[in-house]
Amino acid sequence: MLPKRFDQARPFATLGLIVLVWLFVPLVVKSFTRVTFFEAQAPFAAASSYVQDLQEFWAMRVRPKNEMIEAGRDLARLNASYELRLQENDQLQNEILRLENLLKLPPLPAFRFEPARVARRDFSGWWQRLVIRKGANYGITVGAPVVFVGGVVGRVTEVHAYTSVVDLITSPTFRLAAAAEGDPRPVSYQGGLNDSFRAPRGTVEFVPLDIYATATATRRLVTSGLGGVFPPGLTIGEITMLEPSTDGLFKTGEVRLDERLGSLTEVTVLVPLNPLEL
Amino acid sequence: MPRHDYRWLIVFAANLVLWVLVGLANHALTAFSIPFFADYATVHLYLGGLFVTYAALRLDPLHGFTATILTALLLDSAEPVPFGTSLVLFGLVHAFLLYGRLRFPREELVFGTVVALLSNLFLFLALSFLLVGDNPRPAEAWLRLFVDLVASQLVVALVTPWFLSLQARAHALARIHPETGRRVMT
Repeated sequence: MLPKRFDQARPFATLGLIVLVWLFVPLVVKSFTRVTFFEAQAPFAAASSYVQDLQEFWAMRVRPKNEMIEAGRDLARLNASYELRLQENDQLQNEILRLENLLKLPPLPAFRFEPARVARRDFSGWWQRLVIRKGANYGITVGAPVVFVGGVVGRVTEVHAYTSVVDLITSPTFRLAAAAEGDPRPVSYQGGLNDSFRAPRGTVEFVPLDIYATATATRRLVTSGLGGVFPPGLTIGEITMLEPSTDGLFKTGEVRLDERLGSLTEVTVLVPLNPLEL
Repeated sequence: MPRHDYRWLIVFAANLVLWVLVGLANHALTAFSIPFFADYATVHLYLGGLFVTYAALRLDPLHGFTATILTALLLDSAEPVPFGTSLVLFGLVHAFLLYGRLRFPREELVFGTVVALLSNLFLFLALSFLLVGDNPRPAEAWLRLFVDLVASQLVVALVTPWFLSLQARAHALARIHPETGRRVMT
């Protein structure tokens, strides 16, 4: 029979043994276990998302017909304006192609647009993530940029069989090469200022000293295109404050992000057509 | 251990239900407004302590540890933390509760609620200390974490009696004693 003192410490001895075994488990086994557990729980998130969609569908069914007719009319107007934009876009694409050929420039990364429904939003003080309802089954790749009508949403960090995980621009782990609109010099953007009762914010570093922004005269922050992951010119947010950094060589500041990031229901993944280029 | 002894499965299934419900709540709480106070508000609920409480207080060590480890791996797989973080933290809380449980009225709901609150506090703070370093301004991040902690503790206090009763009721329905695994005749 074991001595009483050891008997009392048995839970900790068991835990120590488990941790020791865990440390020596090969990485392949750990990765496999992680994927298995994720795939096992993924249907719950997806199922609740489908139920919400169904709920919205039935809520729409009880709306008055007049409201639907008005919405259809507004959509028709929007479609007409988008048709015009598409024609302009085609012209611009041709112009870009002509200039690339003329100047022998390498082509810009090309993307396929993959719209996806948001299955789960998980915004904490530690991380800010989305789970979307498309994964390897739609050819989503790790690192693919994710956008919405207001600009950048984030980057795909995990791809599973039927779902993907997106790290949001509000997340402390999200870093990106950005630029103030109209200025080609790159600055560093990082998310992570997520107060409970304020819209999400991010930080900018290494901002040149001759760039100014205040709460009343904000400056748009866009993607720089450096690194090749995000196409240039996508909106990140508005720089609301800039102050000299401690070394005096650059400025640091805050970026106000879109409040709609907190209620996203649909996003678009920019799937690179040639991932090896990125 | 009797054959077809699935006490760990009952507790793990209950934890899975709670985890799904918390996920739904967090999904809904990402952006809402409080009239006359804040146009934009967000809060995140963390109920980690609740996943360990019943398994550590009521189950025998083998089944308890099994349920806790499976739950921890489930959480780890869905969170951007090194795989095994929750395993170690939950395991530590579980071992601590196992060590001291015989000295306390562990079948009482009030005691279970206090244990869940303390466990949740420890797990929340441990995770915060591990992850807050990633934030560009850690001091500001603590304000957000404090609000999340208060909200989480309130929810733990409200939910624990129901959740412990749910697991006890599930064992009763399966006619199995949570600690001994013996069949219970009704």
